[in-house]
Amino acid sequence: MGTGIGCGVALALSIFTWPAVVDAADDPRQIVLESQKRTDVKSQRYEGLLQVFDAKGKVSDKRWTLERIGAHGDSKMVLRFTAPAEVKGVALLVVNHPDRASDQWMWTPGVERDRRIALQDRSTRFFGTDFSFEDMEERDVNQYDYVLLGDDTVDGMACWKIQSTPKQTKSSQYTKAVVWIRKDNYAVTRVESYVKDQAVRRLAYGDFVNIVGIWTARQLDMSDLRRGSRTRLTLEKLQYNVAMKDEDFTLQALRRQ
Amino acid sequence: MALAAVALALSPGATAAQSITQRGFVDATVVFYPQDATNDRVQLVGDLIAREEVFVKPAAWVQFAGGLDARANTHDQVERSWRLDLGDRRPLRPALSLRRLTATFTHGPWTVDAGRQFIRWGKADIVTPTDHFAPRDFLSVIDNEFLPVAGVRAAVQWRSESIEGVWVPLFTPSRTPLLNQRWTAVPEGAASLSLVDASGPLPEGSQAGIRWGHTTGAYEWSASFFDGFNHLPDISLTPEASPFVVGIAKSYPDLQSYGFDLAVPTRWVTFKGETAYFTSASPTSDTYVLYVVQLERQTGEWMLVGGYAGEVVTEQRAQLTFAPDRGLTRSLVARASYTIDANRSTALETAIRQNGHGAYVKGEYSQARGQHWRATVTGALIRGHVDDFLGQYRRNSHVTLSIRYSF
Repeated sequence: MGTGIGCGVALALSIFTWPAVVDAADDPRQIVLESQKRTDVKSQRYEGLLQVFDAKGKVSDKRWTLERIGAHGDSKMVLRFTAPAEVKGVALLVVNHPDRASDQWMWTPGVERDRRIALQDRSTRFFGTDFSFEDMEERDVNQYDYVLLGDDTVDGMACWKIQSTPKQTKSSQYTKAVVWIRKDNYAVTRVESYVKDQAVRRLAYGDFVNIVGIWTARQLDMSDLRRGSRTRLTLEKLQYNVAMKDEDFTLQALRRQ
Repeated sequence: MALAAVALALSPGATAAQSITQRGFVDATVVFYPQDATNDRVQLVGDLIAREEVFVKPAAWVQFAGGLDARANTHDQVERSWRLDLGDRRPLRPALSLRRLTATFTHGPWTVDAGRQFIRWGKADIVTPTDHFAPRDFLSVIDNEFLPVAGVRAAVQWRSESIEGVWVPLFTPSRTPLLNQRWTAVPEGAASLSLVDASGPLPEGSQAGIRWGHTTGAYEWSASFFDGFNHLPDISLTPEASPFVVGIAKSYPDLQSYGFDLAVPTRWVTFKGETAYFTSASPTSDTYVLYVVQLERQTGEWMLVGGYAGEVVTEQRAQLTFAPDRGLTRSLVARASYTIDANRSTALETAIRQNGHGAYVKGEYSQARGQHWRATVTGALIRGHVDDFLGQYRRNSHVTLSIRYSF
């Protein structure tokens, strides 16, 4: 999402259970930092179900497996499609950097080669879903400026409403984002992304569960507000801190089917 | 002992490490050619292919892959024998062929792939000068597909650097158009002649290549060297007993090539360049440079690629060749694709010779239905002069309907 709080699909979905400990609770950067800190894991693996609902309500399903290693904002991620059959084996490698936009490559088994996803590509929808390629990457807190817009309520839970603006405007398709973070556990519950003053995407987090002490949203609904379509990502078999090797997150590893 | 082995195999750890995946499809295609060709009156060609690939990973450090193709065709483009073709080096497509049989070993930064596999070095689109280990099936020249090769590929990746070595002991040529079919363009004045294959044996000897790649956030490049054979043939005409018969002899000259490719993503476009210098000890083969420069931009759901493919011949010695890569040079090349939604896409591809003597435009619309079905309609318009590589196929404009069931 490019909000700097890790609301990308890779991570960002989890919050520790302990109560809030931030001293400066009205400092938006501290709030976001604490939210990110509570999602820190060494590695992560899950199986995802993507359901794309178009404006007429038609559903198209895609499945993937995702593995991720490394610290937040400096991590690597490999995503492999497992369904439908025609995209089985398509894989994406994302190498996140704390100080700039991520590097991304896609492996397409049909033509047996990888292709770099260039910076200008990231606004493109990810395989026809309502997530963009940029939404697949993580951003470090320090890449954004924050403004506390005030308090709000989402699904009956008290939240901070924070605006994040990328410091390097050229690195994001979004002009800004508005993020709702729960006051009780610092969980991100909603993100609205803007191009200029128009909200273009809304990501809603739901079905929170506690997995090994980490509060995790197992359901993400991304709405493309311009197209009127919606994609639901459901996380299954989620595991944290799984043993993984750095060499499994390279271009050489990407081509392994 | 046996019980212990079974217990180990059924233990949660072993189950987690082992994975078996597969993918496959059945694809039925009908091609309609509105015009007759000089040597081919057939206007409707049906083609059927079934493909199955299985990947088994018994442990984290090793993976096995196997794949089979089964084919049928209404225009005698497929052999009638159902023997399993392990090499796929014959003029006709095999009815049953081994597409992939590979063992992949990994250890730290090392990866070794041994067996029948696909090895792609090319980075550009439409013309890829450094794709030396990627012969193609050119039975339909502008709708070609890659053929696998049997060999060993070893790669090591360390931080931003990667080095890849390839050894291919058995040469696989590109499959050339059948002599009695429309993609072998016969001038109208020679319609009464019969063409027969007078080729000698395929070259023996291994091929090898090495490639050094460097990848950073700002750019990536690779330099490569290849020593082997050109998978595209030089052609010579041989006298036959009858004056109405012409022998076509294909020979695959030795080839050394030095290649370089570069990709630089910028905010507005990605610049890609790929070039290779081809030289041969054969006295009948040209020495030349192929290069491609292209700009690529993805904006919204549009993917746009445009560029120029060029050729510089430094020593001209060949009389006749079948070289689609060179035939598509001195051309403006472009491709545009648009993703309509999760199930529908459309694309347009073109190559236009700079002298205006040849061009093709190919349009495609594709739509998926449910989790398994996809229908694709393609139209290809080819125009040009008879003496141009593309123009010689000017009677081969066609419409293709393809229905695919993936599983």
